[in-house]
Amino acid sequence: MSSFLLNVLLALIWTMAVGRFTLQQLVLGFLLGFLVVAIVEPLQGTSRYTRRVTRGLRFAAFFLKELVLSNLRIAYDVITPRLHARPQIVAVPLDAQTESEITLLANFLTLTPGTLSLDLSSDKRVLYVHAMYAENPEQAINQIKQGMEMRLLEVLR
Amino acid sequence: MIVFVTGLLALSGALLMLIAAVGLLRMPDFYTRMQAAAKAGTLGILLIVAATGITLGSVSALLHAFLASLFFVLTTPVAAHLLGRAAYLSGVRPWVLQDELAGRYHTQTHELGSGRAPTASLPGIDQAEQASS
Amino acid sequence: MTERLVGLPATSLPLTAAMVILVGALLLALIRIVRGPTIPDRVIALDLMASLVVGLLLLLGAVLDLLAIVDIAIVLALIAFLSTVAFASLIERRTRE
Repeated sequence: MSSFLLNVLLALIWTMAVGRFTLQQLVLGFLLGFLVVAIVEPLQGTSRYTRRVTRGLRFAAFFLKELVLSNLRIAYDVITPRLHARPQIVAVPLDAQTESEITLLANFLTLTPGTLSLDLSSDKRVLYVHAMYAENPEQAINQIKQGMEMRLLEVLR
Repeated sequence: MIVFVTGLLALSGALLMLIAAVGLLRMPDFYTRMQAAAKAGTLGILLIVAATGITLGSVSALLHAFLASLFFVLTTPVAAHLLGRAAYLSGVRPWVLQDELAGRYHTQTHELGSGRAPTASLPGIDQAEQASS
Repeated sequence: MTERLVGLPATSLPLTAAMVILVGALLLALIRIVRGPTIPDRVIALDLMASLVVGLLLLLGAVLDLLAIVDIAIVLALIAFLSTVAFASLIERRTRE
């Protein structure tokens, strides 16, 4: 976390050096600060912060892509006369363990491709998901586990 | 240039929300309707928030827009989960090929089994359905 | 205020068109509320209607150049979320008894 503080500090110093405290300068300072941290951090032995940020960015890109794709798919389904949906409710066994991991996973699933998390079993081991565009339950579960869950846990852990 | 971008954002957002509304009308059952409303509706409102933030342009407006989009991304799934659970418990049947949730709820306590370590055999949801409909 | 409404600059034409589309979507959601058939169907339609009004308010704020309307929209979104949660817990509690 101290690397993050260093990054923020560098951004603030940048705005001071430029002499204008605007959003653009702050963002620019943050980006430049991140570059500095990315170079300095490996010298200290750990590059956790840098790795986390790059993974987080990759996840954000993945999430945006899925968000747009899922919306186009639903839009196509709504507009064209025939319904292509094959809705099913599947039980997804979870690798995510802590409450925040499960919450984030369930939230992201609801926002992305044809899946909507309905409920979590009381022992927090299975997430029940309403999936719209999978051939069969196995495929739906595989898509969720190897798509969203794997990538999310990669960022969080 | 900025006018072009915001116009495009606002129009595509509005069209997505229109698609959400059409989906609400056309989808065959409650759960698929909720999918249409939750997804298309959220992305639509996010695009409109972005359009407004960029049009107003000030730092404060952009901050407002950022916080508003964070709010929408966080609350929509929560609302969908709570409403979906309530609908299932109140006996709204899903139009599905396979329902692995069937019979997993305890009819009295509403506890949800995982199907992994089997709890004592529970009366299925079907009785609650008959009682409420 | 009124002259702002009357003399809309031509640049806000796409925003105005978007508002018209949102009003059309409002009517469609209203049909779902009337048709039902179940209460959750009506609740989800009501939730979407609230989002649509939030969208309308945001675009109005953009057209009129008023940041205050954005605040109003955020508060409305908050109320809509709370009411959906309240409806959900009401529906669930009714089945438990």
